[in-house]
Amino acid sequence: MAVDLSMPILVVDDYQTMIRIIRNLLKQLGFDDVDDAADGSAALGKLKEKKYGLVISDWNMEPMTGYELLKEVRADDQLRTTPFIMVTAESKTENVIAAKKAGVNNYIVKPFNAQTLKSKIDAVFGA
Amino acid sequence: MSAADNKHFHRVVDYLRNRDANDATLTDVVALAEITAESFSAFFQSMDATIYRELREIANYITTMKSEIGALQANDLRAKRIPAAGRELDLIVQQTEEATNTIMSCAEAIMAADATDLAGYKAYVDDKAMMLFEACSFQDLTGQRVRKVVETLHQIETRVTRFAAAINARDAGGFVDDAERRRAERAEKLMLHGPQERHDAIQQTSVDAMFTDGKGSQDEIDAMFP
Repeated sequence: MAVDLSMPILVVDDYQTMIRIIRNLLKQLGFDDVDDAADGSAALGKLKEKKYGLVISDWNMEPMTGYELLKEVRADDQLRTTPFIMVTAESKTENVIAAKKAGVNNYIVKPFNAQTLKSKIDAVFGA
Repeated sequence: MSAADNKHFHRVVDYLRNRDANDATLTDVVALAEITAESFSAFFQSMDATIYRELREIANYITTMKSEIGALQANDLRAKRIPAAGRELDLIVQQTEEATNTIMSCAEAIMAADATDLAGYKAYVDDKAMMLFEACSFQDLTGQRVRKVVETLHQIETRVTRFAAAINARDAGGFVDDAERRRAERAEKLMLHGPQERHDAIQQTSVDAMFTDGKGSQDEIDAMFP
């Protein structure tokens, strides 16, 4: 199945530089409809206002972490099927296991490159 | 009982044994009082010497502590060195961010540039490449700033270690305050470990294996959370 390049993507990170990097990588991959949020609670607000095809979120943010956002999304009837990729410097096995248990679709360890991001998006959408 | 106490005790006993209890005179009572007073005097003298010795030991300990606390240079650390290290870290973040923004702006400009005029495009890319080289000079400055911060940390470590050894300190459990406790509990609950050292960090290939070849299946994961 081809990935829909027109789908809206929400990038969640408290570091503006990282948002800019991911935006540029997504743009290179052909995605133009990209929004961003600085933490989990801001992201949750945006997710309830607009239907996103993919969430790409950092883990370590305040006040709401990406892990808490993931659990909120999976607990919400309207949002539970939204694909969710964690992009994070949290590189302990227990984090990956906890994220998978919470329902994350894929997990990218920082630092990462465009090819890794593309392959994980492709994997999530079965492309 | 000390030898001095024994001596006076025996004097009192001998005196009483040698007197007729039914024939005690005022002189006898006064004599007994004198013996008793001498006994107490010796007792208080020995007690004074013990207390004096202990007080002198405490005074010496306090003097040593004052010297060790002075060697900590806590005021210098608090007022100068730690704030200076904090400013260096702030500047590192600022300079890194500025360099990153410059580098990304150059890259974005190159990617957006019109390449139809090859000569013009080449000149434009060369110009942006030069800006990239200049921006990368931040690494030299931040490296020097990091070394200054590390030096401050070494100074603190040396002084605290010396002080802890001098007072034979043992680590107390718990947290310094509620804020520290809350931060630790939040980090524990939400698994906020931050970046790991290279040898501790899980590799992307290992993560991929957990999502593709069945490792970390739901049953395996559930078994880890009884």
